[in-house]
Amino acid sequence: MEVAFSLQKLAAYKPRKTQKSKETLDAGLVLLENGGHATKGEAGWDAIEKLALAALDQGNTEVADRCIRILSDKFPDSPRVHILTGIRLEATEKTEAVLRYYDELLEENSSTAAAWQRKAHVLRQIGKVDRAVEELSAMLDTFYTEVEGWIELADIYLSCQQYTYALQSLSHALLLSPQNPSYFLQFAETAYLAEDIPLSLKMFLQTVDMTDDDDGDIAPGDSVPSGITLRAWFGVKLCVSKLIAEPRAASSSPSQTAAPSADNLNALANLSTERLRTAYLDIKHESPPTGDNELIAALTPLVK
Amino acid sequence: VSLYLDPQIRDWVLFPITVVMILVGVLRHYVVLLLQSPPKKQPRNAVREQRALVRSQILRATSAHSPLPPSYYKAVSQYLSQAFADGTYLKDGPPKADAPASAPPNPLTDPNAMEGMMAGMKTQMVMMVPQMVIMGWINFFFQGFVLIKLPFPLTLGFKSMLQRGVETPDMDVRWVSSLSWYFLNFFGLNGLYRLILGGENSADSSRDMTSPFAAAAAAAPQPGQAQDYNKLFKAERDNLEFSEGLHTWIAHDVESRILRKYAGVPPNADDETGDGMVVKGTPARRDVSALFSQT
Repeated sequence: MEVAFSLQKLAAYKPRKTQKSKETLDAGLVLLENGGHATKGEAGWDAIEKLALAALDQGNTEVADRCIRILSDKFPDSPRVHILTGIRLEATEKTEAVLRYYDELLEENSSTAAAWQRKAHVLRQIGKVDRAVEELSAMLDTFYTEVEGWIELADIYLSCQQYTYALQSLSHALLLSPQNPSYFLQFAETAYLAEDIPLSLKMFLQTVDMTDDDDGDIAPGDSVPSGITLRAWFGVKLCVSKLIAEPRAASSSPSQTAAPSADNLNALANLSTERLRTAYLDIKHESPPTGDNELIAALTPLVK
Repeated sequence: VSLYLDPQIRDWVLFPITVVMILVGVLRHYVVLLLQSPPKKQPRNAVREQRALVRSQILRATSAHSPLPPSYYKAVSQYLSQAFADGTYLKDGPPKADAPASAPPNPLTDPNAMEGMMAGMKTQMVMMVPQMVIMGWINFFFQGFVLIKLPFPLTLGFKSMLQRGVETPDMDVRWVSSLSWYFLNFFGLNGLYRLILGGENSADSSRDMTSPFAAAAAAAPQPGQAQDYNKLFKAERDNLEFSEGLHTWIAHDVESRILRKYAGVPPNADDETGDGMVVKGTPARRDVSALFSQT
């Protein structure tokens, strides 16, 4: 449902100063001055909301206030407007005031999951990580389907190096959106950090399988990996190198995942090297370095 | 035999009855809309209880092509199974070991079911009251004369009903009184209501016929719900076990899939020219032996 989806996005929102938000702000301000939003119907109000978020990105609270006032005049009881007001309060008010505001929203019950998630986010920002984890876990126990909530929980666990819990949270996110390759990638990277190399390798390969566009005109072997596929191939290369260098890693998987056979391992090593070299060539237009370590080092900034 | 009716009958009885019925129907529709109260907000525990089943269903939905490796899938599945057995998701907490199986709450005393029944009864009153009023009005004012001649013939059995005020033994049954015009309108205006008020209107009389049963049917499963969740959870455990047996990880054989997909890509390890150039889009340099080197 459209409303629930937008609430989820608002709940997971983090202010970020980017070029894109600056452009949105400038373009949106023009629209605001003309008062054109009132005539555009649904799209107009969505644009005002985007403008408010872009203004908060850039730290321009005055424009954000104007937008929120327009929205709350038009939709007085909307949960989205309440959450947006909460985000704006987070930008300037003291933490206790913001927490009290979210507690009030939770009492009123109008936008419970989103308000709960933002409260946990605020708690995390001020450093009360264990309380944040508690709140978020309680929220997800009741509202299981908040995917962004699971992702945020995994992120918090990752920052505390609690890899098992992070993997468990990500597995719930995977269950809820099994068609989203970026969650597979996140799972694979977390598994790598948790020293479960065979699992990580399989998940990286799964990400490649999902994103390499084998239905397109070009055969997969001829295409150039980019974006998420490139990152996944990079992960494959790292896993394979580690498995070849340390045979012990192949048998000590905490999730009892089987490592590939020696032949497959070599084939994968060659394949991943070839893919990475193709990508490097395409980006940098020069010959890629021949040694493994140099290749990895050269690619690290490219996949960030 | 053809009777000649005073045109004033047509002007002052036929049209007014129809107009009044249309207006009353529209009024009924809006009154029902106003009377409908918004669904009651449920406390957190109730929401959690309802969604617990959805959680297990989400897990089971993808079990044949599951994104999770077996150990993770089993962990989630067993946690849920245990939670269902212990009743941790129930609204009032896990059932106490010594409490006898509680009877479903009495509809008269359980507030939730009561509200559902009240809402149904309110709508019914709104439907019935105008009908009785109009029937009384017609009987009082428009009695004792025939109003219209039906275009279709009827048997003598209908005479007593359709010619209520004018019991003459010889008059054709096709001449009917104003009350029958009321009934004709009652059944016939549904189409008009659908035109004016849209499909889902509350002025529809065909609803009234089924509504006693519908209201009773809606009220009946309501009292059983609190008890049902415990049983539903237990039943869900069987489903979870079944799905666990069905579980397959999609990444189980992903290596062979990938290697097969990229079969024929010349490995760079033995690059002869040494410049590492692989031109995109050219099918040349496809080493046939590479096709056979994949396991």
